[in-house]
Amino acid sequence: MAEAKESEFFNAEQKMDKLLYKSKAPEQPNVLFVKLADLMKYTNSLKTWSRKNSVWPMLFGLACCAIELMDFGAERIDAERKGYLLFRGTPRQCDVMIVAGWVTKSIAPRLRTLYEQMSSPKYVIAYGECATCGGPWFESYNIIHGIDQILPVDVYVAGCPPKPENLFQALINLQKKIGGETIGNSERSISPSLGRAQEKRI
Amino acid sequence: MSIMRINIGPIHPSTHGLLRLIVDVDGDTIENIDTRIGFLHRGVEKLLENRIYMQSPPFMEKIDYVAPMSWDELFVASVEQATGTEVKEGAQYIRMILLEFQRIASHLLWMGTFLNDLGQMFTIFMWTFRERAAVLKLLEDVAEGRMFYVNFRVGGMKSQPPSDFADRAYKLVDYLESQVSEYKDLIDNNPVFMQRTKHIGVLKRKDAIEYGVSGPVLRGSGVYEDIRKSKPYYKFDKIKFSVPTMVNGDVYDRYKVRYEEIFESIKIIRQCLQAYESLENKDVLGLKIKLVGPNAKPDPVLVSRELPRGEGMIYMVPEPQKPYRAAFRSPSFSNLFALKKIAVGSKFADLFAILGSLDIVMPDIDK
Repeated sequence: MAEAKESEFFNAEQKMDKLLYKSKAPEQPNVLFVKLADLMKYTNSLKTWSRKNSVWPMLFGLACCAIELMDFGAERIDAERKGYLLFRGTPRQCDVMIVAGWVTKSIAPRLRTLYEQMSSPKYVIAYGECATCGGPWFESYNIIHGIDQILPVDVYVAGCPPKPENLFQALINLQKKIGGETIGNSERSISPSLGRAQEKRI
Repeated sequence: MSIMRINIGPIHPSTHGLLRLIVDVDGDTIENIDTRIGFLHRGVEKLLENRIYMQSPPFMEKIDYVAPMSWDELFVASVEQATGTEVKEGAQYIRMILLEFQRIASHLLWMGTFLNDLGQMFTIFMWTFRERAAVLKLLEDVAEGRMFYVNFRVGGMKSQPPSDFADRAYKLVDYLESQVSEYKDLIDNNPVFMQRTKHIGVLKRKDAIEYGVSGPVLRGSGVYEDIRKSKPYYKFDKIKFSVPTMVNGDVYDRYKVRYEEIFESIKIIRQCLQAYESLENKDVLGLKIKLVGPNAKPDPVLVSRELPRGEGMIYMVPEPQKPYRAAFRSPSFSNLFALKKIAVGSKFADLFAILGSLDIVMPDIDK
């Protein structure tokens, strides 16, 4: 029964396609627009290349992980050589938000506001256990269980706190994602049930 | 001139965490400061009440993440006092060495960020982080963790230090001494640094005592007070070291006290290493963590320690296996309290020099 239904549906879809599109005569392509489309191909690749290699993170140190974030910029790792160490103080100049630390109920709306103020395309890295899932404070009464309850997250970094090297790897992964080198590069995770984030105080 | 209100924070690079300041300025002079805290509150004291004693050190370390070992040790010491456990002699020396290394790492980090606050961007920061990385490397090998260690156990330590520990520690201490004394040329003898810090943010001796500040902030105002001297714990009464104090109580003095403290810590480490080397019994292992540990006595416990930021205290009412209630006295909280007293009347541009000199860590305040 199920198969029959499906085929019926398929047929109906084909019929609709015929009616809508294939009955029309093919249009002559506009020369100007075709050339523009060609140009867009090159500019798009240029855009992704430059976007990939100048990831400006936002200064958003919350707690312990921010100390490792400082170490990330200090002499041992020296992240500037890869093109991502221009920590900006304002969200409007940033591409990626590295959330380092636990997010309490009182800081969650501010986090959301800052994310909304960033210009698109924007990316989010959840750095450390607290930002990923609540971490050691899971049973606390004042903690959001992971920032994916309020923001879409691109890359998660595990550890308490993760070493600066892990952040380095996370940013390389993010670069691959921006460049379209990984499968599912447009996927971002956001929690289906918003849980505590929907409570009245937020 | 009319008064203007400026909002700073809660997310700001110079507030060392999430701190919101609402500052009223008249021209360039600060008229009033309203301090809002609590953005990082997660209820540590409440969380402790539902855990057996030795489940709690991971929480305690995150109270002050710049010097995690010191809060961890404070909590374990209060558990030891509650259960009436003696600490092994070798473990006492190892604890003192690790805690002083932690103090050095904390002061180095503070120094780098403080000079960033003053506008000396990233030169000293790179230098101090280079030295801090060397200290953390040793702690990582001894305590098996890069930032959070959880290596204290009731009555001792988690593991025996590696065989080359003393050798490496001596070398590290020599390295630190030569490197940190180099900073003097760039910082202390620098006229710009002197202008930004001398006679700015003065906290007088009387006010310092009234506001209950502690640690380097108190000693910068000329009060000779150090828990390691006044209520010596472990073997601090047998070790020779001095407590650096200054007179004026300005930003420069607070910097100078911390700078000198690094060298005092180096002295302590050298003496402790010698003493530990000469011990016959070098066993430092404490009790293993089990579901049922030693039972605590019902008497309330009050333990205080000299943390890198000042005097930390734990008041605990014990039940046999877990605390009934634990309350902390964090040094950063009372130090931040003094900000209004210090900063009102000074220039707005000096606000972050003053705030940086207090060396606050926000999760320590919010708990």
